Amino acid sequence: MSKVRKPDDFAAFWDDVERQASAIALEPEVVPDPLRTSDDVETFQVFYTSLEHIRIAAWYCRPVRRAERTPAIMLLPGYQMDPPIPKEWARKGYIALSVAPRGKLRSNRQFNPGYPNLLTHNIVDRHTYAYRGFYVDTWRGIDFLLSRPEVEPTRIGVTGSSQGGGLTITTAAMRRQVRAAAAGAPYLCGFMDAVGLTHTYPYEEINDYMRLHPESRHDVETTVAYFDGINFADRIACPIIVNIGLQDNVCPPETGYTLFERIGARDKQLYPYDGHGHDAGRYRHGAIVDRFFARHLLDRDGTA
Amino acid sequence: MDPTDGAVREYWQDTLDDLARYPARPEIDMLPLRSTPFATLYGARLTSLGPYRLFGYLSIPTGTGPFPAIYYPPKYQSVLEIIPQGTANLQRSRYITFSLAGRGQRNADTPFAAMFPGLLTEGIDTAASYVFRGIVADAIRGLAFLLTRRELDAARVVLVGNDVALITAALTPGATHVVATPALFYKTAELAAKTPTYPLEEINDYVRLYPTRAEAVRRTLAYYDLRGFAPRVTAATLLMAGAPGTLLDARALEPLVTAMKSPVTIHESEQSTYKDGLYAEKWMAARCGITDVQNILPEHWRD
Repeated sequence: MSKVRKPDDFAAFWDDVERQASAIALEPEVVPDPLRTSDDVETFQVFYTSLEHIRIAAWYCRPVRRAERTPAIMLLPGYQMDPPIPKEWARKGYIALSVAPRGKLRSNRQFNPGYPNLLTHNIVDRHTYAYRGFYVDTWRGIDFLLSRPEVEPTRIGVTGSSQGGGLTITTAAMRRQVRAAAAGAPYLCGFMDAVGLTHTYPYEEINDYMRLHPESRHDVETTVAYFDGINFADRIACPIIVNIGLQDNVCPPETGYTLFERIGARDKQLYPYDGHGHDAGRYRHGAIVDRFFARHLLDRDGTA
Repeated sequence: MDPTDGAVREYWQDTLDDLARYPARPEIDMLPLRSTPFATLYGARLTSLGPYRLFGYLSIPTGTGPFPAIYYPPKYQSVLEIIPQGTANLQRSRYITFSLAGRGQRNADTPFAAMFPGLLTEGIDTAASYVFRGIVADAIRGLAFLLTRRELDAARVVLVGNDVALITAALTPGATHVVATPALFYKTAELAAKTPTYPLEEINDYVRLYPTRAEAVRRTLAYYDLRGFAPRVTAATLLMAGAPGTLLDARALEPLVTAMKSPVTIHESEQSTYKDGLYAEKWMAARCGITDVQNILPEHWRD
């Protein structure tokens, strides 16, 4: 039985955050990166401004040969991974944006709580919790894509695994322009369930924090309820697929099931992989993700 | 022209000699936030070649010991983990663990902050300036530091990591076992040409932009090829190969296995972090005399 409960003022809280963010100009900057550009893929370093005027970095790849308006995918990073250069998505025919939310390498000049630490940075206060800005950084990635003349605005997808899976959930929930979403092994979903189900990092950061600050448990629980992907899930309307590993030692599969149940979209499908851990069956599932986006963004049936 | 075996030996001996000029001068501070009833965590600062100040997380189990140890030398990522993501925190109740940030990684990123991708070609034009000369020295310094701990059982020291782990075990004594996942320095120039995937794509990017430097890159990488280090590894080794058909599968690694003089077990990836991880955990536990491995596995991996 999940402990996740949505706060009564959940919508009001995020409306307020969005209002603050919307007052800040995106100020996008797109800088060619000749070192990472090849014959088939143009690569750029992108920068834009987010909540608290923090400058966010991203990799931006586009196929050299493309339509005037090309479908786009936003790729979201895992908790401790360095955001990859998404050339492979460009080679599949998409314009691809790989975002480094605040604190990640290249976006850590103004905000750098470190790893471990991000997960519990100001965790007793929802108004300053690390993920408040971190979430907005990813949502503004969609805003950046919508600002680009070469992007087809009605064909934008979002994907990622682990933290990238959790951010896929929150982004699909908060940006109606997302046409399709694929979330793997979603992290940041069922925080307080997860810390009882597993004792591995990164969730273990919360157990560490509560062991040292037992008096803060209520405040921690209150804060994370505003950031729990499960509480965003009912807002998702686009087609979505979710894959989980039944032996996932990082993001317990129990939280994946709860998340999936709460997703509001009618067109949703869960892929549970037995015999798989935090990879969540990525090797087998990759082709399913490719077909899913080809169908929704490229109008291909994906069987080729 | 590739460097001779003698030139490679001299390069690494010079590296060890240069490292020896700088004492480690460790500073160790307890970190209460990450300490538990079963293990105490410390932050450790050490000096390496350069001189360059490094940072590592040292975890010591509660009890009298001596304990087996797992050493995690610098990984190819910006983040320094206490123990690898997904490892049960209870691993720290049985093993001393020490994870080290090499120069450029978080907590050791002043004055040099590494980029990922980017680190693999940093200074690659000459072997003397290549950043990995320093990173290997860092890894060696970390192992030497770990071996000074009185709680440690020197007969059970496992080195776990990528190519840097294997190179470290070849260049310095102390590791009794190695779990290595080659990714960076096995036939690098040759294999990079066959993949568009990072990190090896960094080599392709670099050579594409600077074609006149291709030969220099190849020459530098020759100093780091795992095949050259293999005969010097004396620790029993578990090689984690890619899945069949991938760039670094068991078949591709055969020349490396053949060159190794120590006992080698090769595990071909089953494309499952659960199955591969479980295999490695059990392999280490069996060699370290840990009979209740089930108790220190992640909850979702237990029988």
